[in-house]
Order: sequence, then structure tokens, then C-alpha cells
Amino acid sequence: MLEIKNLHVKLEDEDREILKGLSLTVPKGEVHAIMGPNGSGKSTLAYVLAGRDGYEVTDGDILWNGESILEMEPDERAAKGVFLAFQYPMEIPGVAGLTFLRTALNAVRKKRGETELTTPAFLKLAKEKGAKLNIDVEMLKRPVNVGFSGGEKKRSEILQMGLLEPTLCVLDETDSGLDIDALRVVSEGVNALRSPDRAFLVITHYQRLLNYIVPDKVHVLADGRIQKTGGKELALELEKSGYAEYSNKAA
Amino acid sequence: MNVAVMKTKAEQAISESFEVAAAKLPGSAAVQARRAQAIGAFSGLGLPHRRIEEWKYTDLRANLKEVLPAAVEDKTPLTIAELLVALGPLAHVDAHRIVFVNGHYRAGLSDTSDAAGLMTSTIAKALQSASEEAVARLASTPEGGDAVEALNTAFMTDGAIVEVAKGASVNRPLLMIFVRAGSDANAVTVRNLINAGEGASATIIEADVVLPGAVRDTHLNTLTEVSVGKGATLNHVKVAVDEGKSLHLSNWEVRLAADANYSGFQFSSGLGFARNGINVLFDGEGSKLDLSGAYLARHSEHVDTTLVVDHAVPHCESRELFKGVLDGHGRGVFQGKIIVRPDAQKTDGKQMSQALMLSEDAEFDSKPELEIYADDVVCGHGTTSAELDPDLLFYCRSRGIPEKEARALMIESFIGEALDKVEHEGLREALASYAMQWLGRSRRG
Ligand SMILES: Nc1ncnc2c1ncn2[C@@H]1O[C@H](COP(=O)(O)OP(=O)(O)O)[C@@H](O)[C@H]1O
Ligand SMILES: [Mg+2]
Repeated sequence: MLEIKNLHVKLEDEDREILKGLSLTVPKGEVHAIMGPNGSGKSTLAYVLAGRDGYEVTDGDILWNGESILEMEPDERAAKGVFLAFQYPMEIPGVAGLTFLRTALNAVRKKRGETELTTPAFLKLAKEKGAKLNIDVEMLKRPVNVGFSGGEKKRSEILQMGLLEPTLCVLDETDSGLDIDALRVVSEGVNALRSPDRAFLVITHYQRLLNYIVPDKVHVLADGRIQKTGGKELALELEKSGYAEYSNKAA
Repeated sequence: MNVAVMKTKAEQAISESFEVAAAKLPGSAAVQARRAQAIGAFSGLGLPHRRIEEWKYTDLRANLKEVLPAAVEDKTPLTIAELLVALGPLAHVDAHRIVFVNGHYRAGLSDTSDAAGLMTSTIAKALQSASEEAVARLASTPEGGDAVEALNTAFMTDGAIVEVAKGASVNRPLLMIFVRAGSDANAVTVRNLINAGEGASATIIEADVVLPGAVRDTHLNTLTEVSVGKGATLNHVKVAVDEGKSLHLSNWEVRLAADANYSGFQFSSGLGFARNGINVLFDGEGSKLDLSGAYLARHSEHVDTTLVVDHAVPHCESRELFKGVLDGHGRGVFQGKIIVRPDAQKTDGKQMSQALMLSEDAEFDSKPELEIYADDVVCGHGTTSAELDPDLLFYCRSRGIPEKEARALMIESFIGEALDKVEHEGLREALASYAMQWLGRSRRG
């Protein structure tokens, strides 16, 4: 279970508070969506979950399976099952996708007390999981994300997620920049991972994604706090009325 | 007033060391005369220091305080098995082999038996019987007076003479191994002559390695003269791997005839204090030069790469790409000069030098220079110096890759672009392995 308690986050270099007492609980087996206007702090929440530098938690806590993760390094969190699919996946020139995936997978397996995969076993797995996301070996041989289209980058994020088998999946605007076909492929990839011992936090600006990845709950994030929580119908409401109501509340 | 130039202790000691060594250095009377002339030239020049423009960042006089005895002979026992250990990843490259231990040829460790089209012999042997005429070829020192090259002529003990026959295409690379072994800290001076005949093609590797456990604080002075014939293709790679205590003075003097293809690469890691000079002269039209390298330095290591690419004739192309990884108080120096002579129209020259700074105390000095006297040319150069991208590091770490490994991955990716210039796959992989060793990573299975 993910428990975010009264989380206050400010930028390290600036005296500006982005998250102002955010509380949220996602039980295992559930998919929760976070929707909110641009600049409301959705990516900040995602980054703080994954352990990126540059943010300062001034109050509150984040517990994953009852354990605070705030003091953990990003790679320790990954080993504990935390995975962030980036809104803007990074390009890594000079590092082949396969090398990157294998290094990551074996690092995580090692930390989880599992044996490292041999090259043939890894290749087989990567091919299998890649095929489901329309990612072929040629694409995996290319440097990570370099020259990939928006859709290719998002699909390769989901492949990484599928390989690393995280238990807390945070998806930051995975739908942005996707056409309808890519959206379907990506959603199928995500849905295939839904399981009773996985929790999902799906961040999105639009309701569209939630037609494919149907959430158990929808939270509205505005002004650094959860303003409203509801079922999947809340997303449809937001689609009609927009976020103006919450932005006003913020003002 | 005393007209004698004030000499440093080291400069005096070098002259004295020559007096001691002279009788034991190989060579006919003509060679001995040439050596005496060279040490005389050195005396006049002295050790280069920071007030000499080309040595501004690399003050040899300040860094060569202790003069080591010349390695005039060598009897250090060394087995093939030990040699392979010293070679490390390069041992896996299937190659013809010519071996020098502490600057002296070892027939027992060498193997060039089935090298069709490749003739190898040694400098020491050639010097023994060299006529005046031969001396001009064997022990030429470029005009203009370079003190390091003068010292090389004065002290050279041995080295390889390599002839690639006209039209020959050599099946496997030639590995010229210069291994240091034993416990005597001394000064090793090597001269190599490589000549690729018209239309020939070959890959030649120079490897400066140290036997584990051998003394580390040695001095090396190596000069390799390369002549690439008309239409010939030569891939020339130098690997120098050490553990931070040695002093390396290396020079390549390269001459390219018409329509030649020369690709030169230099890899180094752990060199204590190094000056790698590379001079290339385009001597015939239609030739291509691809010079590149990667150097890794940490602690207080100092690695200087100084290039002069001389487009003396029209219609030639030159490319340079050098990448340095600098950690600790490591210092990288890159000086690259492209000269385009008045006649050298249609010259196409591009140069890039990049450094990756892993610590705040590391230093990178880059001085690109274009001297262009022709008007119809395309020339450019660039320099960058950057730290590891924290966002990229975070991306890797968010995928579970520990910080040290993530950094290593980023560093490998940085130098990878340079290593990709090495055509021979096994060799390229060996270089990547040296880099991984430096990074404290094991070979990827
Ligand atoms: N690293 C950062 N540096 C400066 N400003 C930031 C940084 N991260 C977030 N912000 C600011 O914090 C606010 C929230 O941003 P973000 O979390 O990206 O919102 P969202 O993802 O909801 O659009 C914005 O005003 C943004 O400009
Ligand atoms: Mg965002």
C-alpha cells in the first residue's frame, strides 16, 4: 500500500512550496488516477516518489508497504518496486537499449536477491516483452530513446516497466503525445501488468486515457493538494467542467 | 659575463646520463656521431617549459626532476604467460606480435612468422651497421628542434621497423608490444619506423603496458615515424595503460602520400604525466586522415595531446575527435593546430575535443588553432567540457542502476563515440574493456 501523508514539498533552490499537504492512499491491486491543471504539481509528486534531487520535503511522509522511502536513493526505491514512467523520457546517446535494460534488470534482480539473467535468457525476455509493445530488436539495439518518436519513447518506458516488474507504478502523462493506436498499445501494456499485488498511480491531464486504463479512484490535484476524490465518473465530469472550479479554490 | 645558459639539475643529469650510456647504445660510428649531435641539440634547447608556447600547459622542465638511468640493456626474465597478463584485454586480439622488454627486442616472445606482406626487423640491428646515408633515414629528427625528439635520437635503444609490402593486405593486425618489467626504475627510449607501401593495407597497434608488480615510476620516450604510401590504408592504434606514476613522452610523425587513408587512434589510462604529440603532413593530394582518441585521467595525472595537421597540398580531408575523462585532480590538455598552406585549396578539416569532468578539481585546457592561408576551404573546430548530466543519472538510477554503475554507463557512452572510430572489432572491445577496468567495472559477458 502507498500512503502519502500530509506531504509538503518545496523546490530546493527556491522558496516556493509546490505540494502543500498532500495526502493519498493507494492500496495494492488498485489503480488511482491523478488529474489536475498544468502546473498543479503532478510531476513534482511523481519525481518525489521516485527520489529525484532538487526537491525538499519539509513535512509529511511517503510510506510504501509501511516503510518510509524518503531517505532512500532512487535505485533503492526501484529495487523496492517503485517505477516512474517519465512524462519526458530521457535520451541516452551511446548506450544501446539492450545494454541499458540488462544493466537495470540485473541491478534490480541482484538487489532483490534474485540471480542475474544470462545474455540469452535476457534477450529472449526482452524480445518477448518488446513484441507485445511493437518494439523489435533493431529498436532495442539503438541508443536509448535517441531519435525515437513520442510514441516510441512512451512504449519503451512501458517495456522497461514490464521488465523490471515494479509493484508501485507511477505513470506521468503517459498519454501525452500519443495517437489513438499508440494509446491502445500502451494501455494494453499497462493493463497486462495490473495485478492484486501492484498499485498504480496514473497521472493525466485528460480523461481519454482513463477509457483504456479504467481507474478505481480519481483524485483531483490542484494548488498542491488533493481537492476531490471520486470514482471513474469524476474524470468525465472534469472533462466537461474543466479545472476552473478547483483553480478558483486555489486562488 | 657567462654565456652558458643556466641549466637545471635535470638537464645536466641528462647530459651526464648520456656520457655514461653512450658506449652501450647500439650503433655504428655514424650513428654515434648522430647521437652526439642530438644530445648537443638538446643541451642547446633544454627541457621544454611553460614559457614555450607549445608547452604552455605541460611544463616538462618542472615535472622532470629526477633523471633515471637509460635502459641500455635488459635481461629481465619474462614468460609468454606473464606477457599476456601484462597485455590484459589486448591479449584477446588475434595478432602478429613483436615484443620489446624495457626497450629491447625479445625474439622469444615475438611471433611474426606467417605475416605475409609484412616485414619486421629492429632498430637496434639496423643501427649497428648503419651507413651515413642510413642514419639520415633511421635517426632523422624533424627540423625546428624538438627537445623530446632530440632526446629520442640520442638515447634510442631499439624499436620496430615495419614494412608493409606494396599492394599487400595484411591478414591480421600487427601488435607491437612495449612492456616494462622488473624492478629498476629507468628511462626507456624507443624508435619505430612504419612504412606502408603503395596500395598496401594493414592495422598496426602499439601497446605500452606494464607487468603487474613491475616498477611503475619509469620514463618513456617513444617516437614512431609513419609513412603511408600512395593509395595505402593504415589503421594505427596506440594503447598506453599504466597506474599513474610514469612519465610518457610520445610522438607520432606521420607523412601521407597521395590518396592515402590513415586512421590513427590513441587510448590511454593512468598515465602519470604524458605528452602525446602527433604531427601529420599531407604530402600528396586526395588523402584522408581520421585521428581520434580517448584518455582517462584521475588523481593528479596529466595527459596532453598536441596535434599539428599540416595540409600542405590540396584536396585532402582531416577529422579529429578526442575525448577526455577527468576525475580527481586529473588534467587534460588538448592543443590542435590545423595548418592549410596557400596551395591547399579544397581542404576539408574538422576537429573536436571534448572533456567530461567528473570532479570539481579536474582541469581541462583546450587550444584549437586554425592557420588558414588558402581561401577555398572548409575548416572548423569545437571544444566542449561538461559534467555528467544529473537528469540522465537520475533516469538511470530510477531504473535501479546504482550510482557508480550509472556513472560508468554515462562515461562509457561518452567515450564510446570515439572508440567507434576503431574499425577492428576485437580491438575496439579491448579498448572498451580497458576503459571499464579504469571505471572499476568488469567485462560485460
Ligand atoms: N525543478 C523545478 N524547477 C523549477 N520549477 C519547478 C521545478 N519542478 C516543478 N516546478 C514548478 O512547480 C510547479 C509544478 O510543476 P509540475 O509538478 O511539473 O506540474 P504538473 O506536472 O502538474 O504540470 C510549476 O509551477 C513548475 O514550474
Ligand atoms: Mg507534468
